[in-house]
Amino acid sequence: MKTIKLLTLLTIFIGFSSCSNDDDDDPVILRVESESVSNLYAPQEGGFDQMGNPLPITGEFTKFDFSSGTTTTSTTDWDIAFRGTNIIINGGTSFGATDEPERTGNAAAYMENSTMANVLEVDVQLLQQDSATGYVLSNWYDYNPVNHIITPTAGKILVIRTRDGKYAKVEILSYYKDNPAEITTEIATNDARYYTFNYVNQPNEGVTTFE
Amino acid sequence: MRFIITILFVIIFSFFSKAQITLKDTVVEQKLGEVLITATRTYRQLSSLPLPAQIVSEKELKEVNTTRLNEILNEQTGLITVSEFVGGEGVQMQGLDSQYTLILVDGVPLVGRSAGTLDIRRLTVGNIKQIEIVKGASSSLYGSEALGGVINIITENPKKTGITGDLNYRFATFNAQDINTSINYKKEKFSLGAYLNRNSSDGYDLINAVDVNTVDPYTNYTFSTKLNFDLNNNTNLFASGRIYTEDQDYTPTSEESGEIKVNEWNTHLKLDHKYNKKWSSYFEFYATRYIAEEYLNSVADNSLVSESDYDELLMRPEIRATYNPNDKSTFIGGIGMDHEVLERTDFTTKPIFNSPYVFLQYDTNPNEKLNVILGARFDSHSDYESQFSPKAAVRYELSDKIALKGSVGYGFKAPDFRQLYFNFTNAFGGYTILGYNTVETELAQLIEDGVVNENGVLVPISAFQGNLKPENSIAYNFGFNYKPISTLNLDLNLFRNDIQDLIDTQRIANKVSGNGVYSYTNVNKAYTYGLEFNASWKPNNQLKLSGGYQYLIARDKDAVDAFKNGEAFASISGQGSIELNEDDYFGLPNRSKHMANLKVFYDFEGIDLNTNIRGTYRSKYGLYDTNGTVNGYLDKYDDFVDAYSTWDWAINKTFYKNYELGFGVENIFDFTDLPESDADAIYIGNIPGRIIYGKLNITF
Repeated sequence: MKTIKLLTLLTIFIGFSSCSNDDDDDPVILRVESESVSNLYAPQEGGFDQMGNPLPITGEFTKFDFSSGTTTTSTTDWDIAFRGTNIIINGGTSFGATDEPERTGNAAAYMENSTMANVLEVDVQLLQQDSATGYVLSNWYDYNPVNHIITPTAGKILVIRTRDGKYAKVEILSYYKDNPAEITTEIATNDARYYTFNYVNQPNEGVTTFE
Repeated sequence: MRFIITILFVIIFSFFSKAQITLKDTVVEQKLGEVLITATRTYRQLSSLPLPAQIVSEKELKEVNTTRLNEILNEQTGLITVSEFVGGEGVQMQGLDSQYTLILVDGVPLVGRSAGTLDIRRLTVGNIKQIEIVKGASSSLYGSEALGGVINIITENPKKTGITGDLNYRFATFNAQDINTSINYKKEKFSLGAYLNRNSSDGYDLINAVDVNTVDPYTNYTFSTKLNFDLNNNTNLFASGRIYTEDQDYTPTSEESGEIKVNEWNTHLKLDHKYNKKWSSYFEFYATRYIAEEYLNSVADNSLVSESDYDELLMRPEIRATYNPNDKSTFIGGIGMDHEVLERTDFTTKPIFNSPYVFLQYDTNPNEKLNVILGARFDSHSDYESQFSPKAAVRYELSDKIALKGSVGYGFKAPDFRQLYFNFTNAFGGYTILGYNTVETELAQLIEDGVVNENGVLVPISAFQGNLKPENSIAYNFGFNYKPISTLNLDLNLFRNDIQDLIDTQRIANKVSGNGVYSYTNVNKAYTYGLEFNASWKPNNQLKLSGGYQYLIARDKDAVDAFKNGEAFASISGQGSIELNEDDYFGLPNRSKHMANLKVFYDFEGIDLNTNIRGTYRSKYGLYDTNGTVNGYLDKYDDFVDAYSTWDWAINKTFYKNYELGFGVENIFDFTDLPESDADAIYIGNIPGRIIYGKLNITF
């Protein structure tokens, strides 16, 4: 309902402001939105037991919807989802991990080595979906085996086609609560799995640019 | 800081050059040229060599009162001892990591590089005659590991006939105690010496917030003995043995406690025979074994947390011959074999290496001004590619005062046992590391066990059917030696090392659990280049002043490309990434662009007193990437260890000829670089602050 209101408002706005084009059938152009999300919590269970033996990772993924810009518990209206360091998209087939939600959409993604500002267009050729081989968005961080700290690799931009054929780009800034400048042992132990990320959403279906 | 040092130089130089005028009439001691064996495996005068080399004399060793090898090497130009990831201190030479410098004692190597680095803190300096340092690849004589250069520790021989001996004791901060004694016997044709050292420390704790020591308490003993026997005028028998044993507490966390025990021995036999003026031969047998055992218990219930054993044996028979067709030329050639065995926790097999080798070197002086050395060595091997290592060096005297030197050489380092035979799964991280030669069987096993899904294999197993190549480099050195006046010596050397086939880990498969399987591969190329400048000035018998400077650039070629092509990025504290350009690349970690030292030695001859001040400086350096740059490349936005300098002072006074008392302060200004929080990993772990010591020497 809210979306329709917004659309109407925007239509009126664009209708008034665009003088060069009188064709009424022109699609509605929505503005590209730059947003940020803080402390998206993506807990997991399992991993390792007390002795350090590997256990299956379980627990529900935290789902995120670009069109509303919020987390969601909807089984269908989500684009990407987080659990620990794993990020899945709502498109493709399961990798086989426990508690993976069913993929109902047609999302796809790839990672580009660039900066947020420099990713201006989506290269649709590169888009891939999750599969039995693995997750498309798996390689976004560095793991330090000494202090076990996860840091986002600099210059990894996640380019995403949402479930409904729109595009977004994401840069993950932190894996720890409140995006701390220094990750102490205490923070690493107690405040992990809180994502902070910036994203830019192209709300117009099929438009592959972010300008 | 560099300016301060330069200014200091100028002031001291100008001060002493004035002083020189007043001291002009003093008779300057006619100094015999220093001689070394490491550069050519024949005795050569240091000043006539075409290769960059240095000698640390016994006199300097005695006057600076150091006890371990790392301390004295750290004061030499272009050398820096670097703390390694898994403990231990190695020496970096011409910007090459410590695993690329060969460490010898009396011409034969030490083993025990469990993680690549040979911990040189193991070596006592109490019985050393001199330390010879040869820079630039020297595999043409020494084979593997002599990629950056060679450091050869020459132990003392009895000097006087009859029974002589000495007793030395040093006590320092952190309850660091070093006691050593030597007893020597010498008759005309026979000499026998024995040396015993005990070295201990309470260790120290730099990080107060954590209940764990930076260096745990340790105690070690060295016992060595050496025999020389002239069977006749032309035949000499040499035998030596050394035993080293160390006990160190091991408390990596406050919940765990354990111990590390190291036991090492080596034995060295050599028979020299001179057939005639032209021919000599050397029969040599050397064996050494290094055993390190460590365990870790849980403090709560005393249960075993981890255990690790390392047991390496090297045996080397070698025959050498020298041939002097005339007094202008020398040939030296040799043939030998390295037999190595390693038993180690986390190894699938007990690998045995046999590598026969042969080398030949021609050293000639076509005329009085020109010296040419040509040499080559071939190392054959079953488990990695055989190596041919040539070298050429030229020295030309432009005049009495100035000589040009240049050399080109090949160096290599054999893949270590770990890179070939490791089979290790980290309990906490869940990842697995496989040695190159184990991948074929072990990865297949992981697939069969369902740990790795067939689709998760990133590098096909067929890629591991060949041999891993040794890391190798070509070294270029070019410089000159200038002696404007007899008391002043200036030495400049430009160097470049082009290193390729560096062995790095790569992810070869993904486990079903999401963790990685890693192995080793030849990928990286790197280069280092720079210049080294040494100056020494000895205007009279009282004063010696010396200074050294090294400028260094050390880079990974892939990193250079990545920065150039806009593929490198840095995270700016939570604000997102920025793209880096060519100028932002800082170079390899743990390298300082500028390093310098300054030393002043002064003898008050009439009153048997000597004193010295030594300073070292190193410019800022990175330890590792702190802003998420791909492959851990360092860029100028990373956190760095700031430039620093440390200054040492020592004074020694001899009483009644045979007694000497010494006192000194190391790191006078109490410099430390401590972590600001437990998240700050960019700090200096091997500089504990000011150390004050006293020592006593008795000779008899």
